Amino acid sequence: MDQHGRQGDLTRRDLLKLGSAAAAVGAGAHVLDLARPSAADAQTPKRGGTFRLRSHVAPVHFDPHQTIAFSTMIPLSFAYSRLVKVKAGSSVVPGTQPIEGDLAESWERQGDTVYVFKLKKGVRWHAKPPVNGRELTAEDVKYTYERFLTTKTNAANRAILEMVDKIEAPDKYTVRFTLREPNAWFVDRLASTSTWVVAKESVEKFGDLKSPESVVGTGPWMLQRYEPNVRISFVRNPSYFVPGLPYADGVEIVLSADPAAGFAAFLAGAFDFGPEYGMVIRRSDLEVAKGRVKGLGTRDYIVVFGGFTAMKLDQDPFKDVRVRRAVAMSDNWREVLETNAWSLGQGAPNPLIPAALKDWSIPIDQLPAEGRRLYEYNPGEAKRLLAEAGHPSGIKVPVETTAGYGPDWMDAVQVALKNWKSAGIESDLKLKEYGAFVSSSLLGKFDRMMLTLRGGTTDPDTYFTQLLPGEALNSSGVNDPKLTDMIKLQRRTFDEKKRREIVFDIQRYLSQQVYYAYSASVSAVAAWMPYVKNFGPNIGHDYGGRLMVAWLDK
Amino acid sequence: MKKYVLRRILVAIPSLLIASVIVFSLPRLLPGDVVQLMLEEKAYGKDLEELREKLGLNRPIYIQYWEWLGRVARGDLGESLWTRRPVVEELLRRLPVSMELGLLALFFAIVIALPIGVLAAVRQDSASDFIARSLAILGLSVPGFWIATLVVLLPAIWWGWSPPIQFTEFSKDKWAHISQFLLPAFILGIASAAAIMRLTRAMLLEVLRQDYVRTAWAKGLREAVVVSKHSLKNAIIPVVTVLGIQIAQILGGTVIFEQIFGLPGMGRFLFDAINQRDYPVIQGVNLIIVSVVVGMNLLVDAMYAFLDPRIRY
Repeated sequence: MDQHGRQGDLTRRDLLKLGSAAAAVGAGAHVLDLARPSAADAQTPKRGGTFRLRSHVAPVHFDPHQTIAFSTMIPLSFAYSRLVKVKAGSSVVPGTQPIEGDLAESWERQGDTVYVFKLKKGVRWHAKPPVNGRELTAEDVKYTYERFLTTKTNAANRAILEMVDKIEAPDKYTVRFTLREPNAWFVDRLASTSTWVVAKESVEKFGDLKSPESVVGTGPWMLQRYEPNVRISFVRNPSYFVPGLPYADGVEIVLSADPAAGFAAFLAGAFDFGPEYGMVIRRSDLEVAKGRVKGLGTRDYIVVFGGFTAMKLDQDPFKDVRVRRAVAMSDNWREVLETNAWSLGQGAPNPLIPAALKDWSIPIDQLPAEGRRLYEYNPGEAKRLLAEAGHPSGIKVPVETTAGYGPDWMDAVQVALKNWKSAGIESDLKLKEYGAFVSSSLLGKFDRMMLTLRGGTTDPDTYFTQLLPGEALNSSGVNDPKLTDMIKLQRRTFDEKKRREIVFDIQRYLSQQVYYAYSASVSAVAAWMPYVKNFGPNIGHDYGGRLMVAWLDK
Repeated sequence: MKKYVLRRILVAIPSLLIASVIVFSLPRLLPGDVVQLMLEEKAYGKDLEELREKLGLNRPIYIQYWEWLGRVARGDLGESLWTRRPVVEELLRRLPVSMELGLLALFFAIVIALPIGVLAAVRQDSASDFIARSLAILGLSVPGFWIATLVVLLPAIWWGWSPPIQFTEFSKDKWAHISQFLLPAFILGIASAAAIMRLTRAMLLEVLRQDYVRTAWAKGLREAVVVSKHSLKNAIIPVVTVLGIQIAQILGGTVIFEQIFGLPGMGRFLFDAINQRDYPVIQGVNLIIVSVVVGMNLLVDAMYAFLDPRIRY
């Protein structure tokens, strides 16, 4: 039996040092530690006030089991809970994902494929119809995840928990998951911001959970009002199951599409946090913001998003690894960062696992010499590799991308094309409309080369999906039995240290095979008003979790 | 007059029918599959087919069109493919915002253009004429969204002030509601004002050279009477035609201005719908826009008959 549950201020690495026995003692002992601020922020939390945020897009709808859109998951993070969550607060290092119980008091793994979760007692649904504040039970959790796995239009989310075979509720406060095969990432996947626990009564009353009226959760705030394309307002849940939390009486998300207007409103004090996704501001705007807002709180962090190049591995010239290496070597990731308004040169190169996921992304200096070499822009060497592969006068290939990711992305595309050209890779750029790109190129329907963005998910294991045969997102067409075995092996390895070694080995191996060429991720600047306390930015969509432990000191 | 207006209405019906075919078929020619978008990147084939059937998108396009037209005739524009809410309900909430912005922009365009155009014509080749023409060229050549971005951003950087980007309903705060429209409507009206002002000036100059105006001067009438009573009414007829065209332009402009100023009108609704390939919404919004443009042109035609008694088609 392996005690997997853990709580408190400790990171996963700290816990590994202390050993599993200590972790077992720690479990449940620090239920309220999530509210404890770091020393820098140490002061008495204040109740009251309303957090004001900006979102540039409106939610697609409010049903978490019918979309993967961040614009839906962010608002839901204020109103719903899940079994486990990523710890929040100013002491949490951005890019780390320490897991703690949310609805779960504790959990344990029995054998390789069974997980048993004990729920907190006395958790009540929001006092709104049709659930009207009744107590949450194991049946609710069972219902949620069965719906999650069986809703037809949840294909995209389903992959998160597709290893689940059976869910049982043996008693009112116990939920048992049986997996089809061992998967060491199961609990991390349950911390995804797609796994909100929903109420059966809401689904039955409204048919689905798309309407704002159907948003009845157990989270720290209750959805009070949704005005399409205007605002989403939340009010404090007085019966929230963590005593004393949240501190703020409300949250207001203003839906404002224009980035300039959003930044202007931030400067004018209309928002408490940076106006862009992740509560950040562009680094190019940082000086202006600091000049206008005295004592502005800021913190740099690497985002999970980053560009990558997919190449058709079953077609010439990309069958030849030397050509793929030439592509990687002609990518000047430093220039990509320097020309980006978010980063102005600040950021990090990515191996397979984005550098943002600090615990699982291998540092570039730990790659083998051949892999490391490919991260140094060297058009001369790239030309030599192409010549060695039988292309002395370079290659000409069609490249597909979309302008739908915005002007910053197109700047990066221009840099990539320019540098490829200097290495003898002449590209014939084909810009696709965003919708067409998503429904064709991303699914591998492109001619030889594609430039695109990845990121958003904070679970390292999901990044292996594009390397497995038969997966829709395997756009390069990777079919490498050795790699597939390594990916499956790390999923079966529960010892975190050993698993990390395998994950690092996979990245070492991939750095030389270059099935995809990964570019850099920018270092963004999260910003917040000086009166916002105990706020810690992080990757992922869990705004609610982060703001629950923060307060306004006005 | 009644017969004339009735004829114009009859002519408008085939226009609307042709527009309805275009409005229905064009969104479907856009690359990208709404079903694939709805299921996002990881959809499975079986799910795609089931959803396509559920949404009625698996049937031949002409059958879909015929059914849609039948529903439109009954005042039903269908449901959003994403939210399953009736399009009419969504439009009724948003249409007043766009109309308010559009009408206010038109008001500003007229209020700015007519006096300046008249002044520029009456004081031809003077300093005021030169300034008015220069401003008109500037208004025509500088994109409205660029002016809007500067107007939003610069005061925030200099003084920490920005126009409100949170929409306030009229019932909650009348002044806040009206004031949030003033700036976008003014900027939106500038480009139209420039075009109207230039045309007013040119038309008035032409009329002022007519014999009957010279006669009016010879009779010793005051300048105000010669210009406003004898010249302007004749000069304004082509301007009224341009106003009809400007209404279409202003409606198009609301798409961007609603984005910048956070106004929840039809433009923003249309923008989101295009991104999501929400066919019923795209069709519904475009049909409303086409109807408004056709309706306004009908109104312009009617005004023609009022302004110029010679017009009898």
